[in-house]
Amino acid sequence: MKTNKILLLTAFAVGTIFTSCKKDDPEPDPTTPAASTTYDNGVFVTNEGPFGSGTGTLSFISRSGATVYNDIFEARNTFPLGNIVQSMSIHNNKGYIVVNNSGKIEVVDGTSMATSGTITGFTYPRYFLGIDNSKAFVTEWGTGGLVGSVKVVDLTTKTITATITTGKGAENMVKVGNKVFVACGGGFDNDSVVTVIDALTNAVDTTIFVGANPSYIQVDANNNVWVLCKGKQNATWTALEQTGKLVRLNGTSYSTELSLPFSSTSSQPTNLVVNAAKTTLYYNYSGKLYAHAIAATSLNATATINRSFYALGIDPVNDQFYGSDAVDFSSNGKVVRYTSAGVTIDSVTVGVIPGNFYFK
Amino acid sequence: MNFFRHTLILSLCICMLNAYAQNDSLKQLNVVEIKATRSLYFSSASKFQVIDSATLERYSNNNLADLLSRESMVFIKSYGLGSLASSSFRGAGSSHTAVLWNGFNLQSSMHGMIDLSLIPANFLNTVQLQFGSASALWGSGAVGGAIHLNNSNTFNKGVSIYSNNSFGSFLDKQQQLSFELSKKRIVSTLKLFNHDAKNDFEFTNRAQYGKPIQRQRNAELKQYGLLQENYIQINQFQLLNTRFWYQYSDRGMPPSMTQNMNVAVQKDESSRFTSEWQLNKNKYSVNVRAAYFDEKLYYEDSLSALFSKSHSQSAIVELETKFSITKYDIINIGVNNTNNTAYTESYNNRYNQNRSSVFASYRLHTLNLKWNALLNIRQEFINNKALPFTSSFGIDGNVLKHFFLKLNVAQHYRIPTFNDLYWVPGGNPNLLPESGWSEDATISYKQALKNVQVELEAAAFNREIKNWVIWQPDVSGIWSPQNVQEVWSRGLEYKLRVDYRTSKWDVQLSGLYNYVLSTNQKSLSTNDVTLYKQLIYVPIQNAQGNFLIQFKGTSVSYNHIYVGYRYTSSDNKNYIKPYSFGNIRVSHDFVFTGAKIKVYTQLNNVFNEQYEIIEYRAMPLLNYQLGLAIYFNEKNK
Repeated sequence: MKTNKILLLTAFAVGTIFTSCKKDDPEPDPTTPAASTTYDNGVFVTNEGPFGSGTGTLSFISRSGATVYNDIFEARNTFPLGNIVQSMSIHNNKGYIVVNNSGKIEVVDGTSMATSGTITGFTYPRYFLGIDNSKAFVTEWGTGGLVGSVKVVDLTTKTITATITTGKGAENMVKVGNKVFVACGGGFDNDSVVTVIDALTNAVDTTIFVGANPSYIQVDANNNVWVLCKGKQNATWTALEQTGKLVRLNGTSYSTELSLPFSSTSSQPTNLVVNAAKTTLYYNYSGKLYAHAIAATSLNATATINRSFYALGIDPVNDQFYGSDAVDFSSNGKVVRYTSAGVTIDSVTVGVIPGNFYFK
Repeated sequence: MNFFRHTLILSLCICMLNAYAQNDSLKQLNVVEIKATRSLYFSSASKFQVIDSATLERYSNNNLADLLSRESMVFIKSYGLGSLASSSFRGAGSSHTAVLWNGFNLQSSMHGMIDLSLIPANFLNTVQLQFGSASALWGSGAVGGAIHLNNSNTFNKGVSIYSNNSFGSFLDKQQQLSFELSKKRIVSTLKLFNHDAKNDFEFTNRAQYGKPIQRQRNAELKQYGLLQENYIQINQFQLLNTRFWYQYSDRGMPPSMTQNMNVAVQKDESSRFTSEWQLNKNKYSVNVRAAYFDEKLYYEDSLSALFSKSHSQSAIVELETKFSITKYDIINIGVNNTNNTAYTESYNNRYNQNRSSVFASYRLHTLNLKWNALLNIRQEFINNKALPFTSSFGIDGNVLKHFFLKLNVAQHYRIPTFNDLYWVPGGNPNLLPESGWSEDATISYKQALKNVQVELEAAAFNREIKNWVIWQPDVSGIWSPQNVQEVWSRGLEYKLRVDYRTSKWDVQLSGLYNYVLSTNQKSLSTNDVTLYKQLIYVPIQNAQGNFLIQFKGTSVSYNHIYVGYRYTSSDNKNYIKPYSFGNIRVSHDFVFTGAKIKVYTQLNNVFNEQYEIIEYRAMPLLNYQLGLAIYFNEKNK
């Protein structure tokens, strides 16, 4: 009798345990595309992904804004991109996705995202610039983010063929004629130069001192080069001991034609982009977005958009702004679109930490 | 080689000491020792899980992280075989578990955590898990719960020698050796261990094209340590003990599946001294204890050119006295002073922090001890600045013969770590302690028949943590910690245990199941997508089953673990799949030339499940360990 009672109670307890194991499977993400989806007429967003051991992703937003596809690389190729997805470029209809902490570039078909190989052997790579049908330059921070360089990549064999030493923290690049200007943002240290490389010979032409930690670089309609320097933190990281600076270099003589320092000792300017006509530059500073006409000789005091972005892009087709919000750096980020006048159009959800745009 | 050498030395010792078998459990509890801690008298309203010496013995060649992940519902967040493992207790964070070694908190003053994979199970005599907030008793950090790691000894046992050697997959080699001299009034023990492993297991890399099978790299570990304890019964009222625990660990940091390579190496070196004096009179007891901890951590990553050295010290002194006013009560009053110092290159200075606390407990009980009411209070000061007052109140008792009820309401707090306060860049010296309330209720049913013992338990808890510290970029883009989050955790915990025992047979069956929600309750921005979402890496569902059969010295046990979905992003849009795996252990005890010998094998992940605890961190498939333990005791003449 007592045994029966115990058995009954046991059965009851086991039953309770199993019935409480309710199904709470997370719902599948409706923005994940079918493997066969193709991507044209829109913008690719590289999402760095969560810190630590996770993976970054690639998103695509159609130019009409009607469709957003997330995690498009894994949807097509059934494996993830890797740790910290830095940037993407399309060159000769091949997509080159730079994966920073995995030290590699995933090569894909520029329309279907089907994998077509991996280029390995980088140490903290940042950006890709196609030079010709068989050659590309890739900036990297190198060991410890302390030794910047440009790796020369053979696109046919998908191998690194040469290393060109630059300033520390080689970052964004622009090409003027046969010269490639490399902004050297300091990496995990500080630097203050733009390294100019001859794209035909792979030799360093010259090194130009511009200001503390130049990370962003653009070319204007006159083929002059604009560099945005972030400034330099003091030893205790409590203030900027050198403020940020917007600098114009002559694209042929390399001389510094204009140097406009920012006044804030706490805010660092970021994200330099240029419109389709290459007549107006835009950047973030002090929580806002400012315009700078290439003929202007002083910094703008009035903002275009009262908001700052983690990453900034400008659509070369219609001059619309794309600004990203990394939210809490752990959840899916947002991309907000604005008209060229700075009026909000819409906002979409992309992957974790949206860090760069590539317009197709 | 080592294995044979040890065995040889041991057999020599056995011959010399004239064999004598004894059937006591290898490690026994000392009642006096346990009584001396605050936990027994003033935590009776908290849910406890005791991992006894017999269970610990089954994990003699495992670390605390392995033990807890298989025998408890504390979620162990492990980065891989032998790698960093932290705990999440009732949906809280890794710095919200107080890990108390004989009453001294081992949580790092620098980062608030302790790596449970660095604590060898064979250095402990019992492990007790205290569920729910217990800051009034144990101070900062006892938020989700407390893990009590206890050492104890028995007087007048004679001379004992214990050796345990195992060999396993991925060149895992472990050697343990203990000596014990136990006289009428003095016990002295020395435990040594050495552990090497290559940990180069094979796994399918799902993060790379073609999902290649790869071998884990840079996962080697080398660890060794010693624990020396002395217990002296000065007279019938006074006890003195000292302990010294030294440990060194040198580990590679394996890459995640999404990383190409990792060459980083981490070295941990710790020296811990404690001493305790107890006076136990009929009407009162006095306890004075002191500890000095020295912890060093070297991290070397030649790829990212990161060579960091952290060094911290803690000096702890505690005095407490226990007495009764009437026969219905017990009172405990104590003071604690903890002095922490820490330095790393990322601080501007070597920082020092002086923490002093006053605490008191009051217990009212019925004469038959069936009902207890408890009140605990604590006031802590950091550098002479008062922290929030902390209290807890609980009731426990026996209802309807077989039912036991526990109700507890407690405040908790956790002070910011040195990294939170002083890290350059970003450290925020103005951080407030995290704090909040927790409530919990436990009901259990226990019945013992002739051969069968049944225990059923259900617990419910509710807890909020305010001013939760999270790191986020400030206006100038520098990552900095702020007291911004609010987390609400609540859950249900079930336990079932049936034990059938005859003179020859012992059959045990136990099952555990947890359902825990731990959500962010505060909106940090407009339309915050993380609002009301589960914290990352806190599984909602967890279950575990253990089955053990013992017959005539042969023991077979099976352990099964299930861990449900874990979200990997704070908006709960990204997650990793549940995992479950099984483990088998078989052992056989026999007596040979007077020595008690145990031959055992442990098979881990018997169904060859590919699983990840943390996303893209590979875990091994089926692997094994084979071992031989020899125990020899000669009683005092």
